Amino acid sequence: MSRLFRLIFLFVPRESLSVGGWIIVGLALSSSIAVLSWPIPQREGLEFWLFSKGHAELYQVKTDQWNAQRDPDVHISLLSNESLQQRMLASFLSDTPAADVIEVERNFVPQAFTGPIKDVGFIDLTDRLKEEGIYDQLNGPSFAPWTSRGRIFGLPHDVHPMMLAYRADLFEAAGIDLTQVQTWDEFAEAVRPLVGDRNGDGITDYVISMWTGGGFRDQLEALLLQAGGALFDEAERMQINTELNARVLATLASWMVGPDRIAVDAPEFDPQGNQMRLDGRVLVALMPDWLGGVWEMDMPALSGKIKLMPLPAWEPGGRRTSVWGGTMLGIPKTTEDFDSAWTFAKHLYLSEELAEGLYRKHYIISPVKAFWDRSFYDEPVEFFGGQPVGRLYIDLAPQVPLRTSSPFNTYAKDRVANALYLLKEYANENQKYKPEELMDEAHRLLKSSEDLVTRQVERNVFLRSEP
Amino acid sequence: MNSGYPKWAPYVLVAPFVTVFAVFMAYPMLYSAVMAMQQTYGAKASQFVFLQNFEYLLSDPFFWKAVRNTFVFAAGSVLIQLPLSLGLAMLLNQPQVRGRVIFRLIFFSPALVGTVFIAMMFGLMFNKQGLVNFTLHGLFSGFDPVYPWLEQFVMGSLIIASLWQYVGFNMIYFLAALQNVSRDLSEAAMVDGAGPFARFRNVTIPAIRPVASFVVLLSLIGSFQLFELAWVLLNNSGGPNDQGLTVVMYLYQNGFISFDLGYASAIGWALAILLMGFALVQHRVSTIGEN
Amino acid sequence: MASTPKKKMKPGTVVMYVVLYTALIFCALVTLVPFAYLFCASLKPSAIFFDNLFLPTGDGLFGIGWEKMNFDHYKRLFSEEGFLRPILNSTFYASVTGVLATLFAATSGYALAKFQFRGRDGITKLVLAALVVPGALLFAPVYQMLYWFGMLDSYTGLIIPALAPAFGVYLFRQATVNSVPNEMLESARIDGCGEIMIFFTFVLPLIRPMMGAFLLLTFLGCWNNFIGAQIVLQTPEKMPLAVAINQLRGVYGTDYGLIMAGTVVSIVPVLALFLLLQKEFLSGLTAGAVKG
Repeated sequence: MSRLFRLIFLFVPRESLSVGGWIIVGLALSSSIAVLSWPIPQREGLEFWLFSKGHAELYQVKTDQWNAQRDPDVHISLLSNESLQQRMLASFLSDTPAADVIEVERNFVPQAFTGPIKDVGFIDLTDRLKEEGIYDQLNGPSFAPWTSRGRIFGLPHDVHPMMLAYRADLFEAAGIDLTQVQTWDEFAEAVRPLVGDRNGDGITDYVISMWTGGGFRDQLEALLLQAGGALFDEAERMQINTELNARVLATLASWMVGPDRIAVDAPEFDPQGNQMRLDGRVLVALMPDWLGGVWEMDMPALSGKIKLMPLPAWEPGGRRTSVWGGTMLGIPKTTEDFDSAWTFAKHLYLSEELAEGLYRKHYIISPVKAFWDRSFYDEPVEFFGGQPVGRLYIDLAPQVPLRTSSPFNTYAKDRVANALYLLKEYANENQKYKPEELMDEAHRLLKSSEDLVTRQVERNVFLRSEP
Repeated sequence: MNSGYPKWAPYVLVAPFVTVFAVFMAYPMLYSAVMAMQQTYGAKASQFVFLQNFEYLLSDPFFWKAVRNTFVFAAGSVLIQLPLSLGLAMLLNQPQVRGRVIFRLIFFSPALVGTVFIAMMFGLMFNKQGLVNFTLHGLFSGFDPVYPWLEQFVMGSLIIASLWQYVGFNMIYFLAALQNVSRDLSEAAMVDGAGPFARFRNVTIPAIRPVASFVVLLSLIGSFQLFELAWVLLNNSGGPNDQGLTVVMYLYQNGFISFDLGYASAIGWALAILLMGFALVQHRVSTIGEN
Repeated sequence: MASTPKKKMKPGTVVMYVVLYTALIFCALVTLVPFAYLFCASLKPSAIFFDNLFLPTGDGLFGIGWEKMNFDHYKRLFSEEGFLRPILNSTFYASVTGVLATLFAATSGYALAKFQFRGRDGITKLVLAALVVPGALLFAPVYQMLYWFGMLDSYTGLIIPALAPAFGVYLFRQATVNSVPNEMLESARIDGCGEIMIFFTFVLPLIRPMMGAFLLLTFLGCWNNFIGAQIVLQTPEKMPLAVAINQLRGVYGTDYGLIMAGTVVSIVPVLALFLLLQKEFLSGLTAGAVKG
């Protein structure tokens, strides 16, 4: 190194840089040597991008298995969700290769459907799914988010039914039997006695984790879907300002303000939200199957204290579940080896081993209906007070509502989440705390959300010109 | 100055920069200008629509909301942050101060932290049960112990976080400027019997003017590009009722979440034009001030 | 003000001292609190992470549960997460980009300041225009260029686009105008020095503060660059530190203690560099800011 520097000093006088500057130059030289001499394993074969660390750990096992037995090798790259989405977009845009297989989250798929159907960047899997009988083997609603204009562009990973999680220990202590509750109205009534300063810190404690804003837009969508509302129908027609949606919004706003308030802002994946759950300052949450694994990892102290029950319905006898989240495996058109990519996708997603792994580690149930009778789904789960969690979710799976794949859904969801925020503020200012009193304003706000989404939709020349 | 060097010399000197600039800046700028006049959906499909995107932009309530928020943030940055930076620099520049190096290091250190991490840290601190409420409630018992900063005071919270990030950084500029002048001029002024305010007006201000106008411009450009901090702090959204929606965030939402790169480019160019206008005005103002 | 400290202190001076130090120390504390929070957080095991704001309470000294804290997060970073390689990658990427970008900016800044040639004004204007263009605008076309040149998933693809630092060219132009006298260049030419030699032996030492300042700025920018690296690079072994830390931020669940430890690890090296370069950093930045 010092000889190298002497050589440099022949050309560049020492005074050109200070000691610190020369140190950076030295770093540049030595790290170049180090980086160049640190071998990077050469990878040939299929590239597989995904964003979830939990998934990656499980997939690695199946991938190693594949690599040991078959060609070409598959390499997993774990990316942040943003990066994955931007790389995917850049590759669609410039027609440059992306990975051969990509696992994409539900919020980032529909955008790929905005253009003409022939320009969607993923390979249309519809015919293969039907010819190979996979379409009938999997849970039907699981295909909905990856389907545009009748064509399916991804292999579904999950069902993600939703239940209600509650602090069984604290409810028992209070002598409230939540399992008897059938509807959300009954629920609100049943839990109201628990509102108050439960831990004596001078701050009122509420019951259910539900709030406005970006952190809760998925929960809001789930509740709209449960009610039979949602923002687009199956033909992707907008249906935002509806009676059902207004009612859900008005009810949720009534949970958040006034003397009958029961809801509190305790977001998921958030340290403060988790702390509130640990402290018992919030007792109830909406819980899709995958969230249980997150809770168990982030809040091991809750083990044994949580129980699950079907969601209370919006109407007596109504739907007792909903859906939140989801991923698919997509194969971009730029792949050079579709057959291998497709075989690998099936090897991974349709394997019983993975279904069991996903369940044991994350409580995620498989969309493959044939696995639903497996006994591992019946084993008692310690975290959930010994409940057979898999079985509970599977029982609800057929009721999971259909979801839209409209490219404008994310946008619409944000607008409606914002309408809820404004409705809450309105209720606060006007001291209107009953859902019935909020219906007019809810309609007005939904109408203006609808107008904004319409404006956005009408800009799209492609969707307009296509039949 | 134009004598005695071979004709090729300047070209060789600028060649490396210009080559890279042409390929990775100029061409992409051109490309995005063309894209701003297209509708690009589902990434691949595109259609030329000329100025339609800009037309839509002018009547887009969210764009204007983003512009307004961005102005508020920029004003906050310039009007709160820079005086603070200058004040801090003047404090540090007092000849009696011991341990100047340590203080300087402390004040500058936030600039060493990546923005994403700053956003995560402040997210934890601004939370309803976070450090900020805990402290304020501890000091003033009347303060709401669960005040929703990121719901009711979004822009303010962003400004505070960016104060922490940049006050020390900008202080360095002012400090350097003050150190270049203060000694001789300030002493001369003192001999003339000028009071501290007169000295500030007559010696300090003219001395730091060039640096100040440079820092103002940099802060404006920087605050108009606000994105990462707000995006992470507000949970990948514009916050409640889009109170924290900024122009670049709106660009990002359109380009990379809605995949509408044409419109995103139009937003980007609108911002660039706005900033160029600012730079021109600022240049005028600072030149007028000098003469 | 007391520019002659030998004089006997007047009571007013004492008050001033008190006010001065109170203000400085207050500001320093406000600046340091988030760091203290960060550091405390990095030492707390995940299970008790949210129990206390700063340090866990307990029976130890000052009522703090010292025994509850440990360096496990740091150990995990280097054993399980293999942070050594990302640190090396970041050092490589940041220092090489820093050195080359500084060199490119210095030569063109010098050329723009001291030579007259066709295209000079055009380049100057373009450089200024580039300052106001939001980076997100350019991302898609840049990606396409990188693909055409076969630079995706390589350090070249990450480093080369960063070698057109418009801001740097602007700074170096100002610095050269301010601190390189024309007479010196002329006399060097009369002595028969080559142009390249003039730049390296005469010009560089004069703009040394700017070299230091811009090196540090670029290094810092690259060190914390996260999105760019994740888009261009694909092989896991090539990822820099910022990406490795962000990788800890899972979509499903986040280990905050680990991330905070990662953040601390990422701050230390740049802090050390700043300590080494702070003198030039100071004078360098002003040299660019003063009008030329």
